[in-house]
This record gives sequence, structure tokens and C-alpha cells, in this order.
Amino acid sequence: MFRTQLMTSLSVLALSLGPATGALAEDADGNIVVGFATAESGFMQAYDKPAQDAAMIRIDEINAAGGLLGKQIKVVNADTKTDRAEGAKAGLSVLDEGADMVVVSCDYDFGAPAALTAESSGKISFFLCAESIKAGIQGVGPHSFSASVLAAVQGATMAEWAYTKKDAREFYRLLDTSYVYNKGICDGFDWMLPKLTDATLAGEDVFKNDDASIASQISRIKALPKEPDAIMLCTMMPGAVSAIKQIRAAGINSMILNGSAVDGSYWLSAVPDLSNFYVPVQGSVYGDDPNPDVNAFNALYKEKTGSDPATQYTYPGYSMIDVWAKAVERAGTIDADAVVAELEKMDNEPTLFGPRTFTSDLHHQNKARYLIVETTAGKPGVVDEWTISEPVPMDALMK
Amino acid sequence: MVQDTQKPQKSVLLRTIATPLILTALMVALALISQAVGSRPFNQTMIDIFVRVILVVGLYIFVGNSGVLSFGHIGFTCLGAYAAAWLTMPPMMKELSFPGLPEWLKAVQLPYGPGAVLAALFAGVFALLFGRVLMRLSGIAASIATFAMLAMINTIYANWESVTAATNSVVGIPIVRTIWPYMIGAIVAIFVAWAHAISRFGLALRAARDEPTAALASGIDIPKVRLVAFGLSGVVMGLGGALMAHSIGVVTPDTFYLGLTFITLSMLVVGGMSTLSGAVSGVVLLSFLIQGLRWLERGVPVGNSTFALPGGLQEILLGVVMIAILARRPNGLFSREFAWPFGARGRRGPALAANQTVPGGDA
Repeated sequence: MFRTQLMTSLSVLALSLGPATGALAEDADGNIVVGFATAESGFMQAYDKPAQDAAMIRIDEINAAGGLLGKQIKVVNADTKTDRAEGAKAGLSVLDEGADMVVVSCDYDFGAPAALTAESSGKISFFLCAESIKAGIQGVGPHSFSASVLAAVQGATMAEWAYTKKDAREFYRLLDTSYVYNKGICDGFDWMLPKLTDATLAGEDVFKNDDASIASQISRIKALPKEPDAIMLCTMMPGAVSAIKQIRAAGINSMILNGSAVDGSYWLSAVPDLSNFYVPVQGSVYGDDPNPDVNAFNALYKEKTGSDPATQYTYPGYSMIDVWAKAVERAGTIDADAVVAELEKMDNEPTLFGPRTFTSDLHHQNKARYLIVETTAGKPGVVDEWTISEPVPMDALMK
Repeated sequence: MVQDTQKPQKSVLLRTIATPLILTALMVALALISQAVGSRPFNQTMIDIFVRVILVVGLYIFVGNSGVLSFGHIGFTCLGAYAAAWLTMPPMMKELSFPGLPEWLKAVQLPYGPGAVLAALFAGVFALLFGRVLMRLSGIAASIATFAMLAMINTIYANWESVTAATNSVVGIPIVRTIWPYMIGAIVAIFVAWAHAISRFGLALRAARDEPTAALASGIDIPKVRLVAFGLSGVVMGLGGALMAHSIGVVTPDTFYLGLTFITLSMLVVGGMSTLSGAVSGVVLLSFLIQGLRWLERGVPVGNSTFALPGGLQEILLGVVMIAILARRPNGLFSREFAWPFGARGRRGPALAANQTVPGGDA
């Protein structure tokens, strides 16, 4: 009896809801749809939100200029809640709302579930700022891209720049093994170092991001016959602050080279009067970018969101929409395979934040122009720019 | 050993079969609703619910029957998920992610079904091994020991680079988005739990839970009956892990740690720790509550405006609701098993008696 009633009500439900389904290839109004399956809550929000705001600025610009292929770009959102299972749902949700392109979380681990749903539906996915080679063909599939630059390029850039411009010869490698990103920076450094004639590795050590003290690592640096010219510090927040503070407190004044993850001035008050400290960035948030358009972008960003960009990880969102929209225009269609083919034709395609190249093997940047930000007496500013002499090869990236 | 078994076995079976059948009907209904709605995110939500049902039923097999709270079962889910990855990923991707696997394992690529069964058995074998040691402990010592086991499994999986890819996300696991395999998994878990509960091992284990001294005096080998339940629940947890891996397509060790442990335990406790009906309905109700609150967080159009809860309120409201439920019903929502509605099966008396056989003395 109970079951009969249940089945009856179920079939009524089935009849009433049956036809209202199916993934639409395109929005009903004929708009092009960009789906953001990103974190609107949880810790990833801190990374996703700024890049997403930057992406929205580019989308608004395109729409104001008449849209893409004569259509307006519509945006749909789904919150991943910084949770992998929710990420897969968020991906499906924006796809069901007709997304032609899916933007996923900054980090590979958290973006991958949504990117995989896009891949299995044959749609393009873009990681907002992932810097692992897996965020692309290698870890998702042939329709997946990353908007940022590989971590290894950052390590290689800093090594080559310090060698060429600062005459650094003796390097010390200090790796925080907690995150894959850190390893990527040091992998790039390891690949570059042997290419630099008479540059040597004075020593190497590891620590963990949550180590309260790196005293033993520091005493090994102090025990070296001569203070190294440069310390390649492969780490990220929050452990980076404590490591830097301890190195300087121990009286080690070598130049410290880093990846982009320590960009931003928000933490500098924790290490007063920090000097001789170098970070590679795609664009400057300090108002001194050599490209006036970047400074104009910063002003626009402040107008839209109420604050300046905090770190350079805001910028990839803008370049992402930029290159994707160009590829769509060139393909003359929103069809994923055609757009991917156009993206893969991009060779040093100019963007506001440096040229971008995609190939059929790599949907990521293995070579990029970086601005070098030096912090002197606690004040960061752009001092130079550098592009590595040759791209980081695949075997160094896949390590 | 247990005097009740002198009654014909068929009778216990008939008296209690209503519970798994009703729960099965519930599972089928959920799957049909999902088919009817036809939205892919909704389908994925239902898949999540089925996976959780498997996990919570797995927990129930041990925790519900033995009364020993286990914080370690998600460890078996981790074992199952990674085993499914080892068995079902394409050999080329395995070479990249798990260079340290034995060659024969790198060469196999099973369909997800057999892969999930083997993964479940793999988890079960480890549950038996751990159980040999842990089941000699009782009370809080046993609970903490299971937690230690979880920490151990997590640490190994988060660091054994060549075999588990350490903290890197493992991708390349075939993604299964049809709802039926998950529904079948949940139904299998329900029947396994029910069969165990009415078996001599289940009865003996509940006897040991309620009256350990009397149970010992009646000749029940408590570590042994606990071990049976632990191994069996390990198998079910492993199955849940394997299906979870196929539902998202990505596994990492931190997925299988405290977060999942506590959400599954709370579903079990809120639903009713001592009954299978409670375990299953706890998952379904809490999942719907979570989804409903998330939906409200996203905003619901009311006339011309949108009504939305402030972001993050979902977690708080969920906590409040759980406290309210536990304050009103300390034994959980369902401290009795589901049975046929009144009169559907003879007199009410025997039906109730049968119900009490399964949950044990929680009345």
C-alpha cells in the first residue's frame, strides 16, 4: 500500500519533471556563457575571488565593446565551497546552465574535479592561477588550460636573473616540502643552475611549512665557509614569513630569491626593514608597473572592488578571458575543439601581463616575462624584468 | 550459544526483512527521483548521498552493533579509494602517478565494477589485520586506538610518494556518472548490514554491547564477534571509498580524514546509532538538509527579490539542527527499525518484538 502510493507519486513527479532537462549547448537567448565553478566560501576563496574579479573586468570590457561573435557573454556561478566533491557538482551545475567555457579554482587539487566534468563534456576549462603542469593536458585532458605560469619558470627566472644581473655564483637551496608548488619552484631552479657557468650549489636543505623553528637549517647555512650569494627559498604562505624572519634574525644577509607566492605587502610588517629580497611577478600591484595599462587596470580594479589588488595572482584571471576571447573570435565559433586549436596557435600572444604561448603539448607557460620586485627596507618595488633564455623542458616539469 | 537461534531461522528473517526492503525502496525512490529531475548536479548530489549511505551503513555494522565508537573507519575508505585507483586507471597514467607499484598491478586495468569489489576486499583484509589487535580493547581505549589507526593510514598515504603519489591529487580514475551502480552499492551495503545484524555474530555482538558480563558468561568470544563486524564493515567502507573515487575522479589522502570521519559519524548518531534504519535515514535527512540550506544560501527568488541566507550560515544551522535533534532524541531520530505499517503483517505484537531484536536494548 505504502509502496503503491510511493510509486504513484513518483510517476507523477517523473511526468511533471521529465522534459525540463538536458544540457543546453548555449544559453536560450543565444548568449555565450562562461561558467565559474570556483570557491565562493572556504579558504580557496582568498585565491579565487581576486582572479575572478579580474576576469569579470575583462568580460565587462568585451561586453561593452559589443560582445564576442556579436553575442554578449553571460556569466553563471557555482560555489565549490573549497570541497572536491562540491567542485564536481559545481562543474556539472555550470555546464547544465549552458557554460561554453568553465573557469575552475586556482589550485590544481581543488579545481581538478570541476575541470574533469568540463573535459568529459568536451568543454574548455581554465584554471584561474594553477602553476602545476597537471593543470592542463597532463592532469585533466586536451581541453584544459591554466591562466598562470608554471612554478618551475619562477625558480628558473630567479636563478638566471640573479646570476646575470646580481653576479650571484654560490646558491643555497632551501625547500619547504609541504606543497607541490614549492617543489615546482626548486625543480626549475635545479634545471637552470647547471646551465649557469661557474655557478655552484653551496648547499641544500629542506623544512616544512608549519615548522615553528628552522634553527638547525640556519645553523647549517651559518656553518658554510662563506655566506652564499643567494638563497633560493622555495616556500609559500604562511610558513614563508617565519622562515624569512628567522634567516634575517640569524644575521644572514644573502639575497633571498622566491616564487610568486610571497608577492604582496600584506605580510611585510612581520619582518621589519626586510631588504635584498626578490620576487618574480606577472604584474606589479605596487603602482610602479612599467606598463601604464597595468596601473590603469589596478585603478579600475580598485574602483570595482573597493581595494587594490593584493597580489599578482589577481592578474591571470584577466589574461585568461583575454586569450580565450581572442581564440573564440579567430575560430569564429564557440565550438571547444576549434577554440582549443586557435589557443594552441598562440605564440607569444601579447597580453597585459606578458606574452602567452600554448602548444598541443602544453597548455601552460614554460617561459614567461617576469617583473622582478625587490624589497628594500620593507618597501617592495619593480627593479627589472626578465625572461628565461630558453623554455623549461618537459622532463624538468614532469619531475 | 544464543538460545533464540533454536527458533527456525526463517522466522527471524521474515520478521526483520521489512527493514532492508523498505530501505531499498527508499534508495530506488531516490534514484528514480534523480532520473526524473534529470539535472546533472542533482544527479551528482544523489550519487553523493548513495556513497554516504554506504559509508554510514559500513560504520553502523561495527559501531551500531558493538557500541564501540570508531574514528578510524574512514581509513578503510582511503584504502578502498586508492585500491580502486590502482586497479582501474589506464596503465600509462599509473606509470606517471605510481611508479613504485609492482609491474603486474601497473599492467592491469579493470572495469570499475570488479575494481570496486576487489578494492572492498582489500580494505576488508586490512580491517581484519588491524582488528586482530584493536578488538581486544574496549570502550574509550578502543575508540582512540581506531583514531590512531586512521592517523597512521593517512600518514602513510600522504607520504608514500611512489605508491600513493603522496599529497598529489591522483587523476585518471574513470568517472562514473550514472546513478545505478551507486544505488546498487547502497542496497548491497544495506543487505550486508541486515544479514550481519540478524546472524549469530550480530546477535552475539549486540548482547556483548548491552551486557558484556552476561555475554561472556554465556560463552560469547567478544573479540571474535567484534572482529567479524570490524572486517565486514571494513569491506563496506572500502566499497564506499572505491565508489567515491569513481564519483569524483580525483583522490587525495586529505579527503579521507577528519572531515569525512565526523560528518559520517554525525549522520550515524543523528539518525540513530543502533539501527540500520537510523543509519540510512540519518544520511538522507542530513544530506537533504545540507543541500536545502546551500540552496537557500545561493538565493531563492521571492516575488521580485531574492531571499538568500548569509554565506556560511549553512554550517551553523546544520550544527543547531543536530543539537536540537539530539536534545529531543538522544538515541537519534530512529531508535527503532522501520517495519511494515500497522496491520500489514499480522498482529502488532510480534512485529514490535522483532524490531527490538535488531536494535537491541535501546528502548
